[in-house]
Amino acid sequence: MSENVRTGAGEPDLTERFRPLFQPRTYAIVGASTSKVTLGNEMIHHLRSMDYDGTIYPIHPKADDVEGLKAYPSLGDTPEPIDFAYIVVAAPHVPATLAAAKGRVKYALIVSSGFGEREESKGLQDDLLRSAREAGVRVIGPNCLGTYCPEGRVTFIAGSAKDSGPVGVISQSGGLGVDVIRRGSVRGIRFSRLVTVGNSADLSASDILEYYVADPMTKVIGMYAEGINDGRRFFDILRELDGAKPVVLMKGGRTEQGQRAAASHTGSLASDERIWLALAKQTGLVLVDTLEDFLDALLAFQYLTPHTDHPTRDVTMFGNGGGTSVLATDFFARVGLEVPRFGDETIRLLEEMNFPPGTSIDNPIDAPGGTMRVDDGRVAGRIVDAVYASGAPDALVMHINLPVFQVSYDQGADYTANLVESALEAQNRASGSTHFALVLRSDGSLEVEERKIADRRGAQALGVPVYDELPNAAGALAALSHYERFLQKRR
Amino acid sequence: MDIDASIADALKAGRDTLDEESGKKILASYGIKVPLSLLVTQPDGAADAFAKLNGPLVAKIVSPDIIHKSDIGGVKVGIGSAEELESALNEIETAAKAHTDNIEGYLVEEMAPAGHEVVVGGSTDQTFGPIVMFGLGGIFVEVLADVAFRICPITTIDAQEMIDELKTVKLLRGARGGIRASEESIVDTLMKVGGEQGMMLALEGKVTEIDVNPLIVSEKEAVAVDARFVLKRD
Repeated sequence: MSENVRTGAGEPDLTERFRPLFQPRTYAIVGASTSKVTLGNEMIHHLRSMDYDGTIYPIHPKADDVEGLKAYPSLGDTPEPIDFAYIVVAAPHVPATLAAAKGRVKYALIVSSGFGEREESKGLQDDLLRSAREAGVRVIGPNCLGTYCPEGRVTFIAGSAKDSGPVGVISQSGGLGVDVIRRGSVRGIRFSRLVTVGNSADLSASDILEYYVADPMTKVIGMYAEGINDGRRFFDILRELDGAKPVVLMKGGRTEQGQRAAASHTGSLASDERIWLALAKQTGLVLVDTLEDFLDALLAFQYLTPHTDHPTRDVTMFGNGGGTSVLATDFFARVGLEVPRFGDETIRLLEEMNFPPGTSIDNPIDAPGGTMRVDDGRVAGRIVDAVYASGAPDALVMHINLPVFQVSYDQGADYTANLVESALEAQNRASGSTHFALVLRSDGSLEVEERKIADRRGAQALGVPVYDELPNAAGALAALSHYERFLQKRR
Repeated sequence: MDIDASIADALKAGRDTLDEESGKKILASYGIKVPLSLLVTQPDGAADAFAKLNGPLVAKIVSPDIIHKSDIGGVKVGIGSAEELESALNEIETAAKAHTDNIEGYLVEEMAPAGHEVVVGGSTDQTFGPIVMFGLGGIFVEVLADVAFRICPITTIDAQEMIDELKTVKLLRGARGGIRASEESIVDTLMKVGGEQGMMLALEGKVTEIDVNPLIVSEKEAVAVDARFVLKRD
């Protein structure tokens, strides 16, 4: 990005300046058709489904009407200036489309690809930038998909959640941005804003990061990047942030093989893998490898409050599945977390409960189905009370193997609901700062999956993050721990 | 010292690196301890040099054509008398002449106290620009790649964490009967290379790489025994 269009760092109106990008009052769409369904037509539909309450202006060279809305021949012809223009015409037409804006368009998002991803098309990207600058337009993309902001009632995919949340996401890849919204929403993640930045010819991931840092709606920042084209500035923003908001980075192209893929996907160059690990250590940033890890970590940061006075280390694990909890104990150790033995008082209280044979009463507590059914599942509350009797762990992970209850002949009570509720009541009685996470394990069958979705929703409503397997919970707690340790040491 | 002038001189002479003496002068100007040394132009200057320094001494070839000095017999250590120094310089001259006629002289310096050989370096990353690295010398860096990296500028907390993260840190802390290296001195050297006021940032755009190798770290101090500065050509 060149100096003359750089977003000024630290300007007081940063949040104001980005408002039209995420909460546009006027939304132009260039590339919707009168005869077929293009991405432009889809976008009109998406905005309507979000109850968008600004004005939509289709731009069409010939038609007067597109999707029942009055159309205008160019971005320069609309009756009022445009906050946000969504452009989905073939790459060679993009520079002229922007040039027509003549200072009347604040932001343009260019979906079209065929710019800087390949050497021979870099000239076209230069033309695009020149037109944008002359017309006074700030550009998102090219080669990206859209913006999502429940507060501004805008989205670029069908069925997006309409309620806002604390998580702001920057994705260099459009498709991965879609996955983040759809899968994240199901997991209970709620977003403040999400933007896909593609080739970042003008506005870079760092520009958006700087805005998210300042944005009061965004409390947790997630990012997918293949290349950072202004690494120095990116580093400075993170250093200045000093851990005030957690940042989770999913970095593509960290291996030589992955770098080759990134170069052809978004035209990105890459640094040594070890530099990214250094960045994580120096800034408290959480580095993850997979989309699953990314969502697991964001979920933890959305639901759990970091405790910097005792960074997460000691974990109590409790649930049904002996082998599962042994394997998980190994996994917790590998990510630097401990599953320590209980204190004497806890052991004594658990012994007094006289559980059926096969119950292990030290950490990890292995409570087979029969034990979990005691008091219709409300036994979980007493177990949690006993755990707290000899001091609060940093985190408590309860895991339930759903098929054990779901496909059983014994349907005498809603065991899983009672297990979760009573455990949470005990957790609240202790009123400490122990992180509480729930693992709902499924066998993938339709009936259990349906139950899992319902149980997960119930837990989310109670403010509990839900994970698919124990290693997912371990990874999320390790991410939280990394961030907490950074804060403890540096602030 | 005038760092810009010595960089300009080297570039004018067609070199991509600074000679050892100039490199060490830069280190010294940043407060990194280097051995006391003298540049001797001919082997017959040995007696004079020996009188001015405290033995035992080390002698090294100074030639822009010779980068790996010890590989060609261009380094002699443990020199205890003026006579030994003169014959060492003669031997170095003979060895060097097999490779080049361009001999600028001999660097004669005091030996660093015994300690761990570590490497402190700086280089330029294509995403983040100046970075700093730290590792134990020899096979630990070269074969095992047990090296810690950070983006400049680092804080003293970062520098300490670089030491902590080495797999071989136990050796620095006196495992297997070794001496316990002064970690404070290592942190101090890392800051002088990679800190806010460090060389990598101060010389950004002029120097692309710095290699302080080895840095000898004893229980009390760290001494830079060799230094390589790679210059940026416009």
